[in-house]
Amino acid sequence: MIRKTIKISNKLGLHARPATLIVKTATKYRSDCRLVKDDMDINGKSIMGVMMLAAEYGSEIELITDGIDEDYLMTDLVELFKSKFDEE
Amino acid sequence: MNLSLKEFYETKAKDLSLSLVTNPDTLDSEISSKYISRPGLALTGFFERFSYKRIQVLGETEIGYMQSLSDEMLYDRLKEILIYDIPCIIITKGLSAPNQLEFLANDMEIAVLRTAISTDRFSHLLRRYLDDYFAPTRTMHGTMIDVFGVGILLTGKSGIGKSECALDLVERGHKIVTDDAVKIKLNDDKLLAMPTNDFGHFMEIRGVGLIDVEKMFGIQAVGLEKQIDVQLELMPWQDNMDYERIGLSDNYVEILGVKKPIIYLPVSPGKNVSVIIEVVAMNYILKTFGYEAAKVYTDKLQQKLREKSALRNRKI
Repeated sequence: MIRKTIKISNKLGLHARPATLIVKTATKYRSDCRLVKDDMDINGKSIMGVMMLAAEYGSEIELITDGIDEDYLMTDLVELFKSKFDEE
Repeated sequence: MNLSLKEFYETKAKDLSLSLVTNPDTLDSEISSKYISRPGLALTGFFERFSYKRIQVLGETEIGYMQSLSDEMLYDRLKEILIYDIPCIIITKGLSAPNQLEFLANDMEIAVLRTAISTDRFSHLLRRYLDDYFAPTRTMHGTMIDVFGVGILLTGKSGIGKSECALDLVERGHKIVTDDAVKIKLNDDKLLAMPTNDFGHFMEIRGVGLIDVEKMFGIQAVGLEKQIDVQLELMPWQDNMDYERIGLSDNYVEILGVKKPIIYLPVSPGKNVSVIIEVVAMNYILKTFGYEAAKVYTDKLQQKLREKSALRNRKI
């Protein structure tokens, strides 16, 4: 299992488009993927779940990957966040 | 998470008929306990195990006792009490606060509120609100449905078909409470499941996108919250899995410390999962009525075995 805390750095936060990108990335891999914010622990492969977080600009969330390809999944996810989901 | 006294006052002043006796800056406090206290013994000077962290409620008895004390005695006693970090004091039945209480409370920055409601009724309403505010909650990945009045929490890996099952059940006349993300609140040993936000009843169908279940299927297809009776986990069919065959023993799962029955359902193409979910609900209802199909059958089988065995022994 890999855990990594990451900050939301794109101005509009985790709205529908970034959420879709996260979910599409997560479903490519076999590993389980969870996103944790405050007391909400949701499945990263579920679009409704990710959008439910309503993670705003500046907030922090914890990424948790667990499974055979957890490293690749985590790398991809971190890259997504760092690139601000290609929005800026 | 603590409840800010200011937020409590602003939210509940109308419902609980509250008015503020002390200055508004005394509202700068926090409520950290869902319990309330009637500080009878503390008023007499006995402070051992004084639950100062709780909201203190003063009714006729307490006010009457304070009035029976001499001015100096009351002043000294109140100073002893208000030195504790009490979240606030609430006087019931519209009674007036003794002058010393109002003065000292302002001085020592403890809020005093008044309610027109009687002590017992107020205690009940306040406890109900605090219990709900401080109720433990958690979120889970799953779909909450109401089938024949039975609250079923559908869980399982992404893509296994929870949402599609839920839609099929809606077509059969059942209700969806929430899809994909469930917020669960523990209140009074009951597990209440509800949506995680107030956006409405939306669902994601892969390949189609987001749909508005309420708009599409009508108000009778959705529910706002439902108690969890049974958890149903959908699993991909596996040859060597040990599935429940007879159903005499129940499996249980613990959610927020409460035990609930769980059913592991193997799914594969061609299997009509929705009808099985309806069967799970009906079986649950029958069991609450005292009828257990598995027991009835196995009892009949045991009876038959006894008869056949007796017959065999007579022949010998």
